[in-house]
Amino acid sequence: MESCNAETHALPLVCRVTIPFKVQSVSQYALEIKSLSHVFGSYRVLNNINLQVLPGQIVAMVGPSGCGKSTLLKAILGTDAPTSGEILTDGVPVRGPNRHVGIVYQHYSLYDFLTAEQNVSFGLKLDETTIWMRFLMTRKYFAKRREQNAKAQEFLHRVGLGNACGKFPREMSGGMKQRVAVAQAFIMRPKIVLLDEPFGALDEAMREELQMMLLRFYQENLIAKKEGRRPEYTILMVTHELNEAIYVADRVIGLSRFYNEGDQGAAIVYDRPCPVFSPDDPRDFSKFVKQRDELRKAVFDESYVKDRDKYVTFWKELSELANDAAKA
Amino acid sequence: MIRRSIPNWLFWLLSIGGIAVLLTCYELVSARQTRINPLQTTIPSFEKLSEGLRQIFRPQGLPENPKPPMFWVDMRATLWRLVLGMGAGVGLSIVVGVLMGAYRWIEAPLRPVFMFLSKIPPTAMMPIYFAVVGTDQKMFASMVALGIFFSMTQSIYQAVRQDVTDEGINKAYTLGASEFEIIYDVIWKQILPKVIDSIRLQIGPAMVFLLAAEMVVGNAGLGYQIRMQSRILNMSVVYVYLAILAIIGLAAEWSLATLRRTLCPWFVE
Repeated sequence: MESCNAETHALPLVCRVTIPFKVQSVSQYALEIKSLSHVFGSYRVLNNINLQVLPGQIVAMVGPSGCGKSTLLKAILGTDAPTSGEILTDGVPVRGPNRHVGIVYQHYSLYDFLTAEQNVSFGLKLDETTIWMRFLMTRKYFAKRREQNAKAQEFLHRVGLGNACGKFPREMSGGMKQRVAVAQAFIMRPKIVLLDEPFGALDEAMREELQMMLLRFYQENLIAKKEGRRPEYTILMVTHELNEAIYVADRVIGLSRFYNEGDQGAAIVYDRPCPVFSPDDPRDFSKFVKQRDELRKAVFDESYVKDRDKYVTFWKELSELANDAAKA
Repeated sequence: MIRRSIPNWLFWLLSIGGIAVLLTCYELVSARQTRINPLQTTIPSFEKLSEGLRQIFRPQGLPENPKPPMFWVDMRATLWRLVLGMGAGVGLSIVVGVLMGAYRWIEAPLRPVFMFLSKIPPTAMMPIYFAVVGTDQKMFASMVALGIFFSMTQSIYQAVRQDVTDEGINKAYTLGASEFEIIYDVIWKQILPKVIDSIRLQIGPAMVFLLAAEMVVGNAGLGYQIRMQSRILNMSVVYVYLAILAIIGLAAEWSLATLRRTLCPWFVE
């Protein structure tokens, strides 16, 4: 496992993941948003959003309340179509909620009537068996279910819930439920998973534990990349916590109306890489104070009106890092 | 203090005490009435009630050609009508209620109609049933079925709207569910305890509709027998039948509560 020392913090490690690797999918991007705008009546919420997310990235999205983060998330999920523009996952247009885009909500949304194990294997059941198989080919169905439950158990072990397989959601704490929800989404191997303020309802200790879980996922992405495999965990996470955004993600985007054409709707006004931490590193938020202040000013400061592209430098920085790496 | 807990033994003692007080008061009132009028049958003593109990289990007809006891004839008729009516009413309510909760285009036209029709007391619609369905077995079943249909459909529809969140449905889509799978694997399983509760709550009204219909046009059944026996002031049989109705109600309630605990171990009220 790669550790993150003070030196590597100076150079964002995002390049380790985002330098193009052997692409096995239809598209280079796990998620691509093209010229997306959304209007409610006469109120323009989102203005010409363009975003590309590579497989294996953990992208945090921050922004002031009411800036349209949820609207954007719903559009990506496919529940609320945008007024204009296009969203593609792995090159395929999103026409509605589908199995290629996973979701984890703030309030877990587990199925009360299923145990932790059944919740995690529920998607596999829906995806890999048909109604006819369940009723007419029972032997084959039960064999398949045993296989799926074993997979679910294994995934629950990975998120530290190996001993909670038989528990119903009402018997679990908030942190446990959220880990089950994460496992439920990721076991389907979607192209991207949306985390909608996933840790917002948790206490500090639980929050930390789940942040560590995401960092472990990121480490698995790095290993996959090294081995030439497609990284499994591509995440777009909405959060209100700037520290969390920079700590957990390898890229932060800020959605805001505070730019020179802000009356036209919110746009991405911040898009930069951020340092990557290993779960073994000490949690020291002072290491990214500078970026946090920059992010706060660029996204949340109403009086700081700037050009919308001033802090949208992710791809430029990425190519510079790639060039540097190539030269080295 | 309000809601202060009491020991279990005291709770049970008081529960048994409540029943004992009821029975004692009944016996005292009965004895007093008998002192005033030794021929009274309005509030029969326990001795007369036990005679009533024997009477309903005694074979009817001549000894050389005995017919089944009155209790079995009435019980079979009432339970069969109840099962038929409840089965049809519950089945239809589940289908319509779930579809109304799942699809706005079904909810929109049906909701106002159901709100209106559910306000009409089913017993007041008896003349319509007599005219449209006749007075045979179908009438009793349809009376029970339609009597519970509107209110039960509304409660199932409410359960779907309240207990199944949009997030849960969207998540099911992201897990690859089809619409049928969402209805069967998510909505149905989530509302099952509420459906069982709803059936439990509908047994009382269903019995009211059925007994009322039996009293008016029946030729067998608990309602019919209660009416016939009360006309000849044979109250010892009437009271026994009322006790039997209470036992049926309690048994149904206990069975459904057990069913809910077995099928929905995750559910907590």
